[in-house]
Amino acid sequence: MTLQTLVDGLVLGGLFSLSAVGFSLLFGVLGVVNLAHGAFVLIGGYAAWTLLDRFGIDPLLALPLIMLGMFCLGYAFQRTVIQWATKRASLLASMLLTFGFALMIRNALVLIYSPDFKSVTPAYAFDSLSFGEVTVGLTRVAALVVSVVLLALLAAMLRYTSLGRTIRATAQQEQAAALCGVNIRHVFALTAGVSAAFAGAAGVAIGLVMPFSPPDETLWTINAFVVVTLGGIGSPAGALVGGLILGVINTATAQLVGAAFPNAMMFLLLVLMLVVRPAGLLGNSFKGSR
Amino acid sequence: MKLFVSGRQAWVSIGVTLAGTLLFALLPLLLSPYGVRVGQLFVLAAGLAVAWTVLGGFSGYWSFGNAAFVGTGAFTAALLQLALPGWPAGSAFMVALVAAMLLNGLLALAIAWPILRLRGIYFAIAMLGVSQVCFELVSNIDSLRGALGVNLMDIVPRGVRPERFYYWALLLATLVIVLVAIAVRHSKLGYGLLAIREDEDTARMLGVPTTRYKMIAFVISAMLTAMMGVIYAHNLGYITANSVYRGDFNLNVIVYSLLGGMGTIIGPIIGAGIMTYVTQVLLGDLLDTHMFITGLLIAVLVLAAPNGLYGIYDNYRLRMRRRKQETQR
Repeated sequence: MTLQTLVDGLVLGGLFSLSAVGFSLLFGVLGVVNLAHGAFVLIGGYAAWTLLDRFGIDPLLALPLIMLGMFCLGYAFQRTVIQWATKRASLLASMLLTFGFALMIRNALVLIYSPDFKSVTPAYAFDSLSFGEVTVGLTRVAALVVSVVLLALLAAMLRYTSLGRTIRATAQQEQAAALCGVNIRHVFALTAGVSAAFAGAAGVAIGLVMPFSPPDETLWTINAFVVVTLGGIGSPAGALVGGLILGVINTATAQLVGAAFPNAMMFLLLVLMLVVRPAGLLGNSFKGSR
Repeated sequence: MKLFVSGRQAWVSIGVTLAGTLLFALLPLLLSPYGVRVGQLFVLAAGLAVAWTVLGGFSGYWSFGNAAFVGTGAFTAALLQLALPGWPAGSAFMVALVAAMLLNGLLALAIAWPILRLRGIYFAIAMLGVSQVCFELVSNIDSLRGALGVNLMDIVPRGVRPERFYYWALLLATLVIVLVAIAVRHSKLGYGLLAIREDEDTARMLGVPTTRYKMIAFVISAMLTAMMGVIYAHNLGYITANSVYRGDFNLNVIVYSLLGGMGTIIGPIIGAGIMTYVTQVLLGDLLDTHMFITGLLIAVLVLAAPNGLYGIYDNYRLRMRRRKQETQR
């Protein structure tokens, strides 16, 4: 395995991590498996594409804007739809509900943006950096930096701010947190908002690195699943580790075994991991994993 | 001698099933070829959904990867027929069917040992993984011909219209599946599975051999699903990995059960009927927004009737009974 493969794997892994961390948070705190997560990722990507194509706003400048918008979307999604489903039916039913939304979003994206591939190409898209024998495109560097910085911010937020403490407390003991005066429904919705915001950010980063089309939403949801299972639920560090491992394995398999095998390898790893250590490498025993 | 099923309810169910099958068997004589094709889709969906229910509905272990068995069954049959050239179509089909069911039973047994120890959402994810691995392996290993595709033998007897023949074949298979499901439901195994669904630890404590029961149900479910897969493959005539390891098989079976009523046998059949009618007949022309409306339907369904149509009926029945008791008092 050359150094170049490793670097490419890490860039891809950064994207996997960023796209999975929101999924992981929602799963860890609410126990909800959001099958619309990949669709949220794509909404982020298409938003970046629209802002660049129509208004000429650089994707990195648009990132906070998109994250804010996605936060509101996620908050509303939780307060209106998911909350209703988890209260009246079961968590598994909420999984089906989000699947319904994934289908709707995918169809809507096809209708609005056509089923063709789109990619976000700012002016610097074709520049690259060289370190010795390793060459990395500037957009890839940007994507990796965005991933790592955002993951670090999220980890710090969860660890040190009062909101983060509230979220963690709610994840551990819903009732006890409520007894201490935490507004559970609000915290759940905030978590869903953060989750969606990170999905949107992942969409922007993905758009910088590779072309995307509406059917990709399934792919990103499944990737998030695998990353979360590998790394562990509800922790940004777990998502980072899981994502990076997955990215490196992906590029290494493509190079060493054959271009057709990364997905098979990925799922083999998933099943093995579930059997050996269902809580993931750095797993918390939060709701979903208990 | 102890009968395989006992109780009045079981015999009522069997009677209703046989009568219903007879009714459906006569339908092709009235319908247009297009109608018969929609009927095929319905019968296929119902069979797969009931086969899923044997594990998912009864024991609460939701498999998100039953397409693994559809696809593996289809490919076992196809590759076996390829290896048996010159056999008469009928016997080649039977051999392929039996082999596919046995192989899938073994596959289920092999993956049951690690995977059935997982609970809830983890079992669902792991099964999704299994179906993906099967799909990827079949489509990427050249000798399995998943990417290239395989032709299957033509098993339609002379003088019978193909669409009618496959409708009847699928109907017969579905009849078998429903009868097996009824037998399971009313046997000791079925009660054990229901106990597992309610509370696995308590069931185990009370002496239900949970691991063995789950395994048996899983193997039965896999074999029945594979049977459906073999017939479906013959119906297609030419299969690739994409056409039998279909992701929508994985999810639709759950949607049908949720719509009709989780854990019942009639539920998935009704669910399959409604969904097939809505998506194929009512929305058949709206290709652009087909997926949107399906998604909307699923969402509304979960929000409005979390326990399915059977749940609504059940609530109504309970309320009626309570009212009767009150008036008697």
